[in-house]
Amino acid sequence: MEETKKISSEIGQSKERFGTKLARFHDKHYKLLLLIPAIILLFSFIYLGVFYSKTGDFIYRDISLTGGTTVTIYEKKPIDQVKDDLSGKLESPDVRGIYDLITREQKAFIIETKSDANTTRTVLEEYLGYTLNEENSSFEFTGASLSSSFFRQLVIAVILAFFFMAIVVFIMFRTFVPSTAIIISAFADILMTLVLFNLLGYKLSSAGIVAFLMLIGYSVDTDILLTNRVLKRHGESVNRKIWGAFKTGMTMTLTSILAVLFALIIVGSFSGILTQIFTILIIGLGFDMLNTWLTNVSIIKWYALRKEKNETRV
Amino acid sequence: MKLGFRVWILVIVLFLALLVVAPWKTFDKGVLIKSVETNSTAFEQGFRQGQIITTIDGISIGSLEDYSEALQGKFILNQSQKMIFTLKDSEVIYFSDRVPEITVDKIPKTNLKLGLDLVGGSRALVKAQGVQLSQAQVSDLVDVTENRLNEFGLTDLKVRPVSDLEGNSFMLIEIAGATPADLESLISQQGKFEAKIGNQTVFVGGADRDIAFVCRGDPTCARVDIPQQIQGGYAAQFSFTITLTAEAAKRHAGVTNNLSISSSDPQYLSLPLDLYVDDNLQSTLQISKDLKGRVTTQISISGSGTGTTEEEAVKAAEEEMHKLQTILITGSLPYKLEIVKLDTISPVLGDEFTRVILVAGFLALVAASMVVFARYRKIKASLAMIFTSSSEIIIILGIAALIGWNLDLPSIAGILATIGTGFDDQIVILDEARRERFLSLKQRLKLAFAIILGAYFTVVVSMLPLLWAGAGLLKGFAFTTLIGITAGVFITRPAFSDMIRKMEEQTYF
Repeated sequence: MEETKKISSEIGQSKERFGTKLARFHDKHYKLLLLIPAIILLFSFIYLGVFYSKTGDFIYRDISLTGGTTVTIYEKKPIDQVKDDLSGKLESPDVRGIYDLITREQKAFIIETKSDANTTRTVLEEYLGYTLNEENSSFEFTGASLSSSFFRQLVIAVILAFFFMAIVVFIMFRTFVPSTAIIISAFADILMTLVLFNLLGYKLSSAGIVAFLMLIGYSVDTDILLTNRVLKRHGESVNRKIWGAFKTGMTMTLTSILAVLFALIIVGSFSGILTQIFTILIIGLGFDMLNTWLTNVSIIKWYALRKEKNETRV
Repeated sequence: MKLGFRVWILVIVLFLALLVVAPWKTFDKGVLIKSVETNSTAFEQGFRQGQIITTIDGISIGSLEDYSEALQGKFILNQSQKMIFTLKDSEVIYFSDRVPEITVDKIPKTNLKLGLDLVGGSRALVKAQGVQLSQAQVSDLVDVTENRLNEFGLTDLKVRPVSDLEGNSFMLIEIAGATPADLESLISQQGKFEAKIGNQTVFVGGADRDIAFVCRGDPTCARVDIPQQIQGGYAAQFSFTITLTAEAAKRHAGVTNNLSISSSDPQYLSLPLDLYVDDNLQSTLQISKDLKGRVTTQISISGSGTGTTEEEAVKAAEEEMHKLQTILITGSLPYKLEIVKLDTISPVLGDEFTRVILVAGFLALVAASMVVFARYRKIKASLAMIFTSSSEIIIILGIAALIGWNLDLPSIAGILATIGTGFDDQIVILDEARRERFLSLKQRLKLAFAIILGAYFTVVVSMLPLLWAGAGLLKGFAFTTLIGITAGVFITRPAFSDMIRKMEEQTYF
């Protein structure tokens, strides 16, 4: 009994030691740590610049943003073969399968193409040898001009959302540096997510843009938590406040990531829309950890320590 | 344990939400009457839309199959039959020689309306070609289209005007369930009908214009002929008569009076009557010389349908005739239309899809509460979190059912977003409550709400632009998120904070 107490107190001590070590390390290097997100951010800007000059766009758009047809056909057929057979007949066709959650048996396949609905229908009916109706298929067609208008509007929606969020943050904290730190972190979060999404070769859909909107909300709440704890609480050292916020914030983000990950695995091939939303959220929440606990923490610590110093000087 | 008033509010709201969603409807037996033909025998004898048939002649009806089985073979001899339909709270004694003129469907399992992407159906976003329509023009367009689709026989549909951030106005058509094969032409066909002799317009289409009556469903004046073999299949001719208004008929007479007898075929007048639909020649009628200057009110319109088999040709001809009749009855649309988006979603995978989403949501909830349990080691708090998040979902569903919101995929993503922020807020509450500082528990929870409200307002403002962007097709996401987090911040999360306070007070001292 005594022994276990001793051991646990030792563990407690080593924990404490780890804590103080970490605090000392952080005190010494926190400004330097800011370099990590800064470098990634710089890389992101360069990457997007190059990407834009190569493709004339900031993302690869899927057909919900370029216009075209998505057809789901409820039949078992090897994906690669379908793709080979259709290329040349349809404009840049993309084929993927839908599989049962448990048995992994193929239930359907989905074809995405820039061709219009009627052309696609004719080509597919000829290829499959039967008439496509609502019993055996789903068609989704979006015209090219509508999709590009959608794209413009959704981008405007994201920009407006970001702008409104920034206003709320400023009203909430009424101080320049901490508010700007939150906004920079949120911005970095979105930008880095976008870059990784591109790097992975994914094509963005209209629902994916919605995920970015969602990300604004998710990414600022840990920042707000941190800033609130550091600025509006008294009687604790800055490090202790940050550490407390870190524990709460990490629990929040990890909970969200795990929840979304489970949902992603289950939804799997079933819904392109939900899969994309979940993927973007997971990437974004990952970067949120980086940006809150490196970017935002460093700036707010810098600010809080300087304020403390000034106050003691006065 | 005494419950705080916030918990009571949550319990009451939750109860009301469940009442609205009515999940116990799953256990209802019978079939739902979706529509009753107006002025029909069925209507006269008491059938109404929305009634639920539970038995027919004492045989219980549990499914659509049961219903069709019960009626099978009853009305083939053209003899009147007596049948007793038990409804949920009344009875109809049906006596007729015809199958009741009603359409039936499965009883919905709850009061929730699921979106097309979950249950199947079709959706079209339509725009006027080349012109920007005003609000009033779009609503006219909506009326004509709705009328046309109803006339065609579609009942379960929604047509409404929508506009977007760039100031474009559209008409959005949503049809639940089965999609008619020629929906596209039915929607987008302008239906401008003109009859010309030479280049002189004699009369134009539309019930309130020159056409008084269009024959439909009466084999004496609307029929499809026996198909003829043509190269590569069969072709079937159809024809139906329309009746002109007296004025149009007089105008017709005035024009034919000026025509001479044809030099090539003295049976007929020199120029035929050409019928155009949307500037395409539909049929040409030679005018018999006897009709010169005569007032004629009946005009026959013909056309054809082709197919690889005889049946296909007849079916194609029937469909074409039906469409043409619909257009002539409902009149033309004032603009040329363009379908900019058309989705026809099969209901085949709908149920499975819903199941997948439910499983995903449930597991996400479990996963999140596991993290919380791992960190706090408090089973009660973890259970309280699951309860709080589940009640947020139920409240969202309740409000959706109350206002008849269609739960589509974006809406479901919004519900997930709500659960996510809900968990975040609850973790903030838990952590603030645990900080053993000099402040009272109540003050600490107040601090937690400062953070929560801050996060709340950022989400609210960031959702607002989405309510207008993209013709409202992603509106569902913003809508459910806004309802969810609002209910969360003002109802469920305060209740959660009360629960935690109770738990903390009990363990503290």
